[in-house]
Amino acid sequence: MKNKICCFNVDNGYLEGLVRGFKAVILKRVDYINLAQCETLEDLKLHLQSTDYGNFLANENEDLTVSRIDDKMKEKLFTEFRCLRSHSVQPLSTFLDYITYSYMIDNVILLITGAVHQQPVSELLPRCHPLGNFEQMGAVSIAQNSTELYNAIMVDTPLAQFFQDSLSEMNLDEMNAEILRNKLYKSYLESFHKFCKENGGTTKEIVCPILEFEADRRAFIITVNSFETDLSQDERSQLYPTCGKLNPEELRMLASAEDHEHVKAVADHHSDYKLIFEGSGDSSSDRTLEGRFFEYEVKLNTLAFLNQFHFGLFYAYIKLKEQEIRNIVWIAECIAQRQRSKIDNYIPIF
Amino acid sequence: MSGKDRIDIFPSRMAQTIMKARLKGAQTGRNLLKKKADALSMRFRQILRKIIETKTLMGEVMREAAFSLAEAKFAAGDFSTTVIQNVNKAQVKVRAKKDNVAGVTLPVFEHYQEGGDSYELTGLARGGEQLAKLKRNYAKAVELLVELASLQTSFVTLDEAIKITNRRVNAIEHVIIPRIERTLSYIITELDEREREEFYRLKKIQEKKKQLKEKSEKEIARRLAELGPMAEPVNLLMEETDEDLLFE
Repeated sequence: MKNKICCFNVDNGYLEGLVRGFKAVILKRVDYINLAQCETLEDLKLHLQSTDYGNFLANENEDLTVSRIDDKMKEKLFTEFRCLRSHSVQPLSTFLDYITYSYMIDNVILLITGAVHQQPVSELLPRCHPLGNFEQMGAVSIAQNSTELYNAIMVDTPLAQFFQDSLSEMNLDEMNAEILRNKLYKSYLESFHKFCKENGGTTKEIVCPILEFEADRRAFIITVNSFETDLSQDERSQLYPTCGKLNPEELRMLASAEDHEHVKAVADHHSDYKLIFEGSGDSSSDRTLEGRFFEYEVKLNTLAFLNQFHFGLFYAYIKLKEQEIRNIVWIAECIAQRQRSKIDNYIPIF
Repeated sequence: MSGKDRIDIFPSRMAQTIMKARLKGAQTGRNLLKKKADALSMRFRQILRKIIETKTLMGEVMREAAFSLAEAKFAAGDFSTTVIQNVNKAQVKVRAKKDNVAGVTLPVFEHYQEGGDSYELTGLARGGEQLAKLKRNYAKAVELLVELASLQTSFVTLDEAIKITNRRVNAIEHVIIPRIERTLSYIITELDEREREEFYRLKKIQEKKKQLKEKSEKEIARRLAELGPMAEPVNLLMEETDEDLLFE
C-alpha cells in the first residue's frame, strides 16, 4: 500500500482545506432555531443572509417562493461541487465522479421515461439534476428502442457498467422505470463500494461503513415500502444491494418478509439497526422510520470529518449539504403554509 | 304592470260556468306550485348547509394535503418529474347521475376508481411511507372536490328552478286569478243587469197591458151607456119558452 498519508496533501490538500471550509459554515442548531422562529419567508431570507449563504437571494424581485429558495441553494451547492471537481486529480476525480453517478441515474431514468412518452428533450433537460449532467443526455431521446439506447448511447457513458446487470435479463421497455432505477442504483452502490475498498487506507475505513449503511437502508426501505404493492419477492430480492452489513441469509429473510414485524426481527441482529427500528412500529412517534435513517446517516457523515487525509470528507460534505438544503426547504414550507406544529422535524447536523 | 282588464268573453251562464271552472283550476294549480316551491326551497337550504360544511372541510383537507406534499418532498427528494412523466390514464373518474327533486332533475357526480395505482412503485427506495400518505390525502381531497362540484351544480340548478316556480306562483296569484275573478264578476254583473232589464221590461209590459185593458173597458162602458137601455141580447139559456119549438 502506498504511503497515502504523506502524499495526500500533494494532490488533494487544497481541496481538503476547501471542503473543511465549506463544512465549517454548515448551519448549526442555533441557526436552525433562529430560522424556525421566522414568521415569513422574508424573515427567513434575512436570517440566511447572516450565514454563509449571504446574498444568494438578493436578486429575487418577485415573490419569494419556497421553490426559488430550493433552486438557489442547489445552484450554490452545484457551483461548489464543480469547483472541487475541476481542481481534482486522480483518484479523487474518480471518487467525485462516483458521487455524481447517483444523480446521473436519476437523470437517465427521467430521460428514458420521457422518451417513452415522446416528450421533447428540451422540456426534460432543465428538470435534470445539475450534478448528474453527462454529455450524451440530449441523445437519449433519439433512441427508438432499448437495445439501440444501450448500444449507441449508454455504452459511452460511465453508466454502462451499471446497465449490464439489469439488461441481461429483460427488455428495458418492459421494466418499470422505478425497478430499473433501483437496479441501476444497486449496481452503482456495489461498484462504488468496491472502488473504495480497492483504494484502501482511511478512505476505506470511513466511506465503506457509510456505503454499507446506505445499502442496508435501501434494503429495509424497499422491503417496507413494497408491502402494499405487487412487487414479487424475487423482484424484491433483485433490488437489494449486497455490499451492506446484512449477510445473504438476512437478505433472504428480508425478501420473504411479509410485514413490519419480520423486518424488525431481521434488524434486531445488528445493534445499531435495532435502535433505529425501536419504537418505529407505531406511527405516532415523532420521527418516521425514514427520518431515523436520515438521522443515522447524518451521524455517520459527521464522523467523517474527524479524520484527515481521506476522500470521505467530500462524500460527507455533499450529503450533509443536501440534508441542510432539505432542512431549510422544510422550514420554509412550514412557514409558508403556516403549519408550525411540525417545524422542528428537521434533522440538525452539528 | 298589466292593466286591470278582464278576459273578453260574451257574458252568459255558460261563460260563467266556464270561468268558475277556470278559477278553480287556477287555484289548484297555484297551490300545487306553492308546494313544489316549498319542497325545492327545503332541499335548497339543505344543500346550502352541506356546501358550507364541505367548503370548510375542503380548506382543512387541502391544507393537510399540501403539507403532506412538503413532508414527502423532504423525505423523498424531488419526485415531481417522475409523477408527471408517468401520467397516462386517469385513475379516478367521475360519473354523472340524475336525481329528481319535486320534478327538477339535479345532476349528481360520483367518483369511481378505474385501473390500478400506476404510482405504486414510486418512492420505493425513499419516502414511500410519506408518498402513500400523500396519495391518500390528495385522494380524499379529490373526493371532496367531486362532492362539492355535485353540490354546487345542484345549488345553481335548484336556484333557477325555485326562481321560475316562484315567478309562476306569483303570476298565477297576482295576475291570472284576479283576472278571472274580474271576468267572473263582470259576467255576474252583466247577467244581473240583464235580469233586471228583463224584469223591468216585464213590469212595463204588464203595466201597459193593464192600461190597455182599463182603456178598453172604459170604452165599452161608454158605448154601453150611449146606447141607452138596450135590450140585452136574448139569452138563450135564460129563455123559458121558445116560440120556435113546435112540440113541447
